[in-house]
This record gives sequence, structure tokens and C-alpha cells, in this order.
Amino acid sequence: MVTRGLPCLVHGIVAMLAVGAAVAAEPEGQPNIWGVWIGSSGFPNVDARYRNTPWPALEFTAWGAAESKRLTTPETPDQCMPYGPMAHMSGTSLFPLEIAKTTKGIVVMFEPSPLPRRIFTDGRAHPDDLDQTWLGHSIGHWEGDTLVVDTVGTNGHGRPLNGYLAGSVNSKTDFSPRLPVSDQLHMVERIRLVGGGEFLEDEITVTDLKTYTRPFTVKHYWQRRPDLDVLEYFCIDETRPPAAEAHTGSTQ
Amino acid sequence: MSPLRRVLLSLAMLGVASSASAHHSFAMFDLDKEVTLEGVVKKLDWSNPHVWLAISVADGKGAVTEWSFEMGTTGMLTRAGWKSSTLKPNDQVKVVANPLKNGGASGRLVTVTLLDGRVLGPGSPVPPQAP
Repeated sequence: MVTRGLPCLVHGIVAMLAVGAAVAAEPEGQPNIWGVWIGSSGFPNVDARYRNTPWPALEFTAWGAAESKRLTTPETPDQCMPYGPMAHMSGTSLFPLEIAKTTKGIVVMFEPSPLPRRIFTDGRAHPDDLDQTWLGHSIGHWEGDTLVVDTVGTNGHGRPLNGYLAGSVNSKTDFSPRLPVSDQLHMVERIRLVGGGEFLEDEITVTDLKTYTRPFTVKHYWQRRPDLDVLEYFCIDETRPPAAEAHTGSTQ
Repeated sequence: MSPLRRVLLSLAMLGVASSASAHHSFAMFDLDKEVTLEGVVKKLDWSNPHVWLAISVADGKGAVTEWSFEMGTTGMLTRAGWKSSTLKPNDQVKVVANPLKNGGASGRLVTVTLLDGRVLGPGSPVPPQAP
């Protein structure tokens, strides 16, 4: 019994220490960022402090300009692909997102994207030999009441931030330059509750010198909306029945 | 096939390809213009990226034209009170839509009035939170 019990006890202590270490990485009284949120900018009567800041005058590199031009069409070429992290956190009022706690950190589920965004807060670093993915690799830690998230490792193929999601055009044109990001993206976010906990602020600093000539920072805002559910969205263009008929009409 | 016929066919195919891939933008619709049409439901295509409603509109002279209307995502419509069963084939409806700029029988749905008098929209914007 003793010989069987001792290893169990040791394992138990090791497990408790491991759990303690994971918990210790996050402060007590962690801000309640959990739940369903929707971009607040699209709603009337929202305090101006909680509206997305305008995109700065962005200067593309030659590659970025070519990529944006390629994507600036009424038919964004990569329609049903997952978003990259910048578009995932666009602060759009079209779709809600849900933030939940997991055993390894935080997950952000954005309705129109098929992929959850995972932010590891268990103390790990970015791997040296990172394989590129749609949303990249995100690690986070708390600095007081602010969640600081660092993201690298995107594959540069995510759906670009189009006019609708960027809130940069009205629906009559939707021809503003798409805001692509490349496989060189480095995104740093400072996420915190504002407005008495009813709004969420994400200060996003984008450094992507393959696409933009210099880093830039925007602030995006969401409103807490416990009345909304994040619903299923599965999108495959090819399965959509005959748009050709739909768009041209047919006379019987 | 004559060269002219071949060119016309190619142009037609280009038109089909272009419209078939244009799901994510409403730029093809004239959002300053509205048309009102009454007809019967042919199909509610409950799918993403966007839901489409097809209705048959009779001109009273024996000709029937199929019109199709684009809406938001299934999730957007669900939040706006729709279900996939909200409209069934042969339901009588009145649709207000922003028509295609090119004059085709299609549009962005603005409202649809159901037989029971309910008026539903295209799913966007998301309704504000109830006070």
C-alpha cells in the first residue's frame, strides 16, 4: 500500500503544484471579460468613447498595395476562408463574438469565422519552430486589469478586413481598399473592460512591414450582449444553389 | 459554332461566373432604389454565406418571372426572427428590395411582408438590446 500510495501522493502534489502555477499566472479577481459581445460602433446612442477609432492613413508597401488591389473587388476572392486575427477582432457590429475561459487560456469565438481563436495564458512562449496558421499563435498575460496578447505565426491567407467589417465604408460602395495582413504579422493587443464593465476595449497594434510601411494602432470596442447567442455559421460558396439564376432572373 | 455565337456564349459564361461569386458584396445592387413585388415563394435558400429568397412574379398577362433576393447570414436572420421554415413554397409574399443595377430580376431584400402581416427584414443590423 505504501509503495503504491507514495507515488500517488507525489503525483497528486505535482498535479496540485501544476494547477497552482497555472492559476498563479492569472490574478485573483480577474476582470469579467467572459460572455457574448458585439461591436458597439454600429449601434445608435452608444457613447462616442466606445466607438472604434478610425483607421489611420495607412501606407502600403509595394506588396501590400498589390495585395490590397487584388482583393479590392466586389467579389472578395477568398470568401469563406477563416479570418486572420486582425479581422477576427475587427469590432464589427454585424456579428457577435464570445469569450470563454479554457483550461489553457482563453478562446474567442467570432460567429462568421469557422475557427476559434485560442490565446494561451499558461505561461508558454511562442515556439521557435512555429508552423504558420490562419489565426497564428497567441499568448496572453494579465498586467493588472489588462490582458496583453501577442500574436505571430499567421499564414497570411485569412480573409482580409473588408469595408463592412472595418466600418470604413458605407454599404453603398463597399469598394474601400481591403486591409490585408501577411505572414509577417505581429499583433499586440491590450484588452480591458471599460464603461463600468459593459464595454470591452481592444487596443491593437499591428506591425506588418511586409504589408504596411510602419506599425499602427487602433482601438476597437464591443458592448456586452448577454441576450445574443453566437450561432453556427458554415460557409462553402460552392454549395450555394444557383446564384447565376438568382442574379439574372429567369422567365418561365 | 460561329465565331459570333462563341463570343456571345463566352460573354454569357463570364456573366454567370461573375454573379455566382458575388455573395459577399452588395455593390451590385442600387441601394438608392426600391422596387415592390408581389408573388409566391418558390424557395427559401437557407444557406451561408447569404440566404436567398426566390419568388415567382406574374405580370397578369401570362408571363411569370422569377426574382431572387439576397439577405444576411442564417445567424443574422435567426436573430431577426426568421426560421428556415418561415417561408414555404407557394406562400404569398410582398417584397421590397434594392434592385440590381444591371436591371436583372434580383435585389437586396429590404422587407418581406408575410401572409399573416408580419414584416421581416434581411437580418442586418442586429437589433439593439431590449431596455
